[in-house]
Amino acid sequence: MTGAILVVGEVHDGRLIGATLEAIGKARELAGDGGVVGFVAGSTVEPAAREFADRGVANVHWAKNAEFDDGAAGRFAPSVVSVAEATGADLILVGGTTLGRDLAGQIAIRWNAAAATGVTEVRRDGSGLHVRRPIFGGRATETRHLEGSRAVLALRPHAFPEASESRVDVLLEPAARIDPPAGWRESKRLGVETAPAGSGPGLTDASIIVSGGRGVRAPENFHLIEELAASLGAAVGASRAVTDAGWRPASYQVGQTGKTVSPQLYVAVGISGAIQHIVGMVSSRVIVAINSDASAPIFKVADYGIVGDLFQIVPALTSEIRKVRGL
Amino acid sequence: MEIVVCVKPVPEAETRLRVATDGTRLDPEGVKFVLAGYDESAVEQALLLKEAVPGSKVHAIAFGPPPRAEEILRAAIALGCDQATWVDAGSKSSDDPIVAARALAAAIAPLPHDLVLCGKQAGDDEAGLVAAALGALLNLPDFGYVVDLRWDPARSRFTFHRATESGQEAWETAAPCVVGLQQAWNDPRTAKLPAILKSRKAPIAKTAAPAPPGPECSAPEKFELPVARTGAKMIEYKTPEEAAQKLVRILREEAKVFP
Ligand SMILES: Cc1cc2nc3c(=O)[nH]c(=O)nc-3n(C[C@H](O)[C@H](O)[C@H](O)COP(=O)(O)OP(=O)(O)OC[C@H]3O[C@@H](n4cnc5c(N)ncnc54)[C@H](O)[C@@H]3O)c2cc1C
Ligand SMILES: Nc1ncnc2c1ncn2[C@@H]1O[C@H](COP(=O)(O)O)[C@@H](O)[C@H]1O
Repeated sequence: MTGAILVVGEVHDGRLIGATLEAIGKARELAGDGGVVGFVAGSTVEPAAREFADRGVANVHWAKNAEFDDGAAGRFAPSVVSVAEATGADLILVGGTTLGRDLAGQIAIRWNAAAATGVTEVRRDGSGLHVRRPIFGGRATETRHLEGSRAVLALRPHAFPEASESRVDVLLEPAARIDPPAGWRESKRLGVETAPAGSGPGLTDASIIVSGGRGVRAPENFHLIEELAASLGAAVGASRAVTDAGWRPASYQVGQTGKTVSPQLYVAVGISGAIQHIVGMVSSRVIVAINSDASAPIFKVADYGIVGDLFQIVPALTSEIRKVRGL
Repeated sequence: MEIVVCVKPVPEAETRLRVATDGTRLDPEGVKFVLAGYDESAVEQALLLKEAVPGSKVHAIAFGPPPRAEEILRAAIALGCDQATWVDAGSKSSDDPIVAARALAAAIAPLPHDLVLCGKQAGDDEAGLVAAALGALLNLPDFGYVVDLRWDPARSRFTFHRATESGQEAWETAAPCVVGLQQAWNDPRTAKLPAILKSRKAPIAKTAAPAPPGPECSAPEKFELPVARTGAKMIEYKTPEEAAQKLVRILREEAKVFP
């Protein structure tokens, strides 16, 4: 594989998201002579294209079409493929978000490429690509060999550093206009509800997560968890004991039947550490547990533990963090 | 409404994972393969829609080697699915999700389908690729990360929400479409004994998987278990304030997780 690498940009509030900047970084590192090509779709593509150029990618193709603003991958996947064909790309990188994973599945078929998601390491050699990815909720890791001449990868958010700044002039190229499959005409995004910063639904993209469990005892105490999270700029999660009891919506749930997360730091407060919770968070880089029971299983997977009453420890921790962060 | 639900046989959640002798994959010896995780939820969702829309049928479909695929299809029938198709992966079966999607699409295309339901991701490989790949193969709109899927009969539309990184989106679409379900019911139904007994004799249609169109595929090279964490480093303290100071210092200086 020595062709160009195509990075599909994901835009939020007019800016490329972190997962795209991470994909650009990886693409620049892997690119041989073929170089890196960017792609953006939607009604306002220029600012995002310029951001590509700020990170060293000069050649940006765009599909300017307001229809693509709803972020439905299936609508513009054919345009991505047309750009891959036009630029001689043999590898497409996307951030492993909701959009990115949908894109990867679409592109694998429409471009006849091998695909892998949740990728945390990439190696490119004479025999093709080798990728590493956590599986079984982080309880195992697999390395896969992607065979054939084309591949699409969705990179796990936070697994790679963002591309460094390296300003170049941008060369904008329109992509061939390809209409989405007919069924899409009947599909409509009716609205977007943005969760307040640091609340449950942002979990899969958060670099720090603070989760509360039954130990918090009642919904009116959950603000302790939320304040600790706010001091850290973290997202808030919960065990199923909490979501089942209705203290917080199901979107907060981490675990086998909730979300799988892998932040830099996961703080489990008043959570016992049932296997169904563990599988959702064990691949976090650093795990901290706060629990009054020294024999709670959560301490077996944690890196650092505090045995104590969360009602005393958590407020002390929140004020210490506020202090060191000057909040 | 004709509903097709894709179910993948995956190891039971409680399985103790072991590496096969060749080092490339999970050792399947003694592992029980079940209908689990989001696929269990997908079946529950299919059955809820069937109950809500009179005259509906649910067709469960699985791609995989014998006898795993057949077993989970019987489990799906015992739960209330009306029909089942097993797409035989043969002995040299591939675990690549794109290969699975091609096999499933070939089997689904000739069946009546107003809705093709999948799990958001399979409980073992967690690829999250199959729903979108099915959308491309069947040329239908596809939506992953879906919760609250409902059918609005007055307007002949599905309505649902999609979970995104920043919140959620409300959507509507016409049939047919492909949905990757992220919803987890805390209490999916369990099969009753008479239904389980009856499912043992239920007919299961069998089709062969098509040959892949090219060499583009992925194969496992290495399967690793995490180095067991040695247990937490416990923080000794006299006051909560001291515990907090010690932990914050460790997180900044030793673990370097925040500045
Ligand atoms: C099929 C299935 C799927 C499941 N999926 C999930 C899932 O996705 N996610 C999930 O989380 N669970 C899941 N569960 C449930 C799981 O088995 C546990 O029941 C659940 O995780 C327990 O939540 P908890 O740790 O908050 O509660 P508990 O187990 O009750 O633990 C509460 C902890 O708080 C501690 N505590 C109490 N008071 C204090 C205090 N004052 N200060 C400090 N600590 C205190 C206690 O020592 C205890 O360890 C699933 C179960 C099944 C059967
Ligand atoms: N071998 C298979 N047989 C039937 N359905 C499958 C198979 N593989 C994947 N699926 C479906 O696709 C979903 C997502 O799988 P994956 O893309 O592998 O994470 C699963 O939850 C199933 O609904």
